[in-house]
Amino acid sequence: MTEGKLSEDEIALYDRQIRLWGMAAQANMRSARVLLINLGAIGSEITKSIVLSGIGHLTVLDGHRVTEEDLGSQFFVGSEDVGQWKLDAAKERIQDLNPRVELKFDKQVLHEKDETFFQQFDLVVATEMKADEAIKVNKLTRKLNIPLYVTGSNGLFAYVFIDLIEFVSEDDKLQSIRPTVVGPVSSNRSIIEITTRKDEEDETKSYERIKTKNSYKSLEEVLRTATLKEKLTRRQLKRVTSILPLTLTLLQQELNEGSETIGFELLNQEAAVWCGKLGAPVAILNDDYTQQIINQRYIEFAPVAAIIGGTVAQDVINILGKRLSPLNNFIVFDGITLDMPIFEF
Amino acid sequence: MARETNLIKIIGEDNFQKLRSSKCLLVGAGGIGSELLKDLILMEFGEIHIVDLDTIDLSNLNRQFLFRQKDIKQPKSTTAVKAVQHFNNSKLVPYQGNVMDTSTFPLHWFEQFDIIFNALDNLAARRYVNKMSQFLSLPLLESGTAGFDGYMQPIIPGQTECFECTKKETPKTFPVCTIRSTPSQPIHCIVWAKNFLFNQLFASDASTNEEGNNDWGTDDAEEIKRIKQETNELHELQKIIISKDESRVPEILHKLFIQDINKLLAIENLWKTRTKPTPLSDSQIRGPCKTNKFDSNSVGTIHEQINHFVKITQKLMNRYAMEQSHIEFDKDDADTLEFVVTAANIRSHIFNIPMKSVFDIKQIAGNIIPAIATTNAIIAGLSSLISLRVLNLLKYAPVSKFTDLNMTFTAKASNLSQNRYLSNPKLAPPNCNCPVCSRVSRGVIKLSPDQLKKMKLSDLIGLIRDKYDYAEDISLLDASEQRLLADYDFEDLNDRTLFEVNLGNGSIILFSDEEGDTMVRKSIELYLDVNDEFPDDTCKLPDIRVPLVKSSDTLSNGDENEEKEENNDVATATDNQEEDGIVILDDDEGEIEMVTGPLNSSKKRSADPEDLSEPSSKRKKLTNESASSDIIELD
Repeated sequence: MTEGKLSEDEIALYDRQIRLWGMAAQANMRSARVLLINLGAIGSEITKSIVLSGIGHLTVLDGHRVTEEDLGSQFFVGSEDVGQWKLDAAKERIQDLNPRVELKFDKQVLHEKDETFFQQFDLVVATEMKADEAIKVNKLTRKLNIPLYVTGSNGLFAYVFIDLIEFVSEDDKLQSIRPTVVGPVSSNRSIIEITTRKDEEDETKSYERIKTKNSYKSLEEVLRTATLKEKLTRRQLKRVTSILPLTLTLLQQELNEGSETIGFELLNQEAAVWCGKLGAPVAILNDDYTQQIINQRYIEFAPVAAIIGGTVAQDVINILGKRLSPLNNFIVFDGITLDMPIFEF
Repeated sequence: MARETNLIKIIGEDNFQKLRSSKCLLVGAGGIGSELLKDLILMEFGEIHIVDLDTIDLSNLNRQFLFRQKDIKQPKSTTAVKAVQHFNNSKLVPYQGNVMDTSTFPLHWFEQFDIIFNALDNLAARRYVNKMSQFLSLPLLESGTAGFDGYMQPIIPGQTECFECTKKETPKTFPVCTIRSTPSQPIHCIVWAKNFLFNQLFASDASTNEEGNNDWGTDDAEEIKRIKQETNELHELQKIIISKDESRVPEILHKLFIQDINKLLAIENLWKTRTKPTPLSDSQIRGPCKTNKFDSNSVGTIHEQINHFVKITQKLMNRYAMEQSHIEFDKDDADTLEFVVTAANIRSHIFNIPMKSVFDIKQIAGNIIPAIATTNAIIAGLSSLISLRVLNLLKYAPVSKFTDLNMTFTAKASNLSQNRYLSNPKLAPPNCNCPVCSRVSRGVIKLSPDQLKKMKLSDLIGLIRDKYDYAEDISLLDASEQRLLADYDFEDLNDRTLFEVNLGNGSIILFSDEEGDTMVRKSIELYLDVNDEFPDDTCKLPDIRVPLVKSSDTLSNGDENEEKEENNDVATATDNQEEDGIVILDDDEGEIEMVTGPLNSSKKRSADPEDLSEPSSKRKKLTNESASSDIIELD
């Protein structure tokens, strides 16, 4: 894959997306190298979307064998593959999606991978990962200055954590009566530069190109310091979904206790503590949700994987194409109400 | 552990069994359809029927993940079913057909399903399936995407808003004079080249899209006269095409780009506030004729455009003779596209408008809507996920009323919000002014084929009048074709049989009370279900109650005008030049034709322009931020 202009074949194949993000972004994507850790349900969705989109290189790291349960949520494996290495079962099907993408399949386990391994990538996506593992990966990505996405689900409920360390994005916006001004727009985002230009065809219109600096925190720091105080109004705090404190509690449990199971009482207690830290009323907790997130712990469910995988893949494509502001920095999804708020920690 | 273990943890054993015995209909196996098929299989729906008319195209492969290069030109429905075999655990039934074809898909065929998933790319089919869902009270999950934007809306007949409860964006048109006399944007020249010039030269009957469009956009009699005369003259140019004399192509150039422009310049009123066009010069027209293939992404010089115009016109001239004197514009027919590109660009050059690349012009002329895998995956995921609640399979989140369910649309990606990825407003109850779900009663007439052949129209009118207690003065309309069958001063058809007046299986008739001043019997829409299996002499009207309502609350014949008015509104709205490149050209597939945003790809993501999304009223409720440039695709 060489840098530079797209071929006519590529333009024809990627026509419908080039019309959205332009030739330059498509060419940028072609030179990008991505690592995906774990090919579960969400991992499969992310793989599908970014391979179809035409990135340059993808390495899939997965040391699992196909189980019967996998068949209930994954589309790169079939019943005849049960017991096989998942990557052996899936690799041809993945390459088949887009022969232009350079793929590498790696069955080694994560903890055998060191700094030099990570160094070869422009971006890392980690799925189905316990918080302690994710934090280890995050330490490496921070050290190497590589953007990281961590995502996981508990049945109908899911989260995405994003750490791009620091990322300057450019957005084009039609200038309104009140022009955009330089300065902070939220706790993690700050507009650093605005340039305006006239529409080529319509002189009455001007566009602003807005440079925004996005700052991020490590997962470890988020789990230590996350709060919504002074970021949300009291009214908004009352309406924060209980999925947020529940998710943070589960991640912290994994980190502190290395624990994969948690009882109802303890989860409710700890989630209440999290409500306090966040500044949200304990009343946002709901016994049904607490019970269901326990019952559905670590379960991957195909529709949720599609939503979360699509969300992560689109953001990966946006930042590799160097267009549009990225997600910042913690998202939860409630598969019952379809609520999907973005929190800045 | 088995494949269903995790699913059972989410929905429970008994609801898992219900899902295994559920039958769903998936309409569309394209962008959203491929994704939905995967999701519905992995959710273990017992039976999935997939309908799609289309075949696979190269430009589908960036997102329709079940299709490969080798599948191009194969039917989508059957190819998709083959592609999912390795992970499939459901009974799959594919159909290559049009869901609106009543002979293949009569009403009683829809009746077998528990739920319908729409994954369509056009308004007509969406409206049709919505109507079927209303006739049969079947829940429908409607969805659509365009680029980064997407929406998903559950429709529970009688309980929540139907597809028609909110006004849909209708195709935009331009005033005739903007296209014919005073273009100011590339789009105007493209519309001229494609919808007007191309048809004048290469269509057999040279019908233009201006017919029926009374919006001249000018009151200048001189200009209108000139436009009409020019149409006749241009049609004369077809004789050059017919002559197959390649050396005469410069005559076409001369007529279009010198003579006609000079005539325009003579109408001085036009140029008081506008920059005057500059006709080509004779020397430009007689330039040397060397051609290289156009690079799809660059514009080239005016000289190259003229050379290409000559070459491609000569080529089409020869095709015209071989193709029965009729060539249709098709964005994927490179010759027709190149003709439109060069003609539009030469005209742009003359009017001091920037020329555009083949890539950009193809988008406008072909009504191409951007489409990506990720948005489709998200929207399909939402649609399949909410089906669990529509079918009430989540015990810990029981649905007591359907207005507690949520619709969703993309918020962050559509620039509507920075603090939510999706917006999820609760469903609204049916709009009491909706002509589809609220202003009419609805039911199915079961007819045996012999009745269709022997029952007179007047008999049917009598039966309906008696059954639902209508007054004497009524009207009867064939609603599928907007055709009047009978009213107080039109009784010519009354003695004919239903068959003779062209009613048959799948016909939808609208019966309205035309008598009452303040209170009238609500109109009733009846679907004719003609089935061989009904015994002879079957004519069963539905047992429904048709209430008396205020005359303004029902839909009758007089309301036909409504649609026309809407069209006029649109035409005037676009007269406004601030409009941001929204185009509508007629499309052979009848897709929704909307392309928004400026042509220049670098500003495609402008954040402010008009919100064109379908559930627009909702979006505005939800956000105070300015709306984004969305369109709904419909993939």
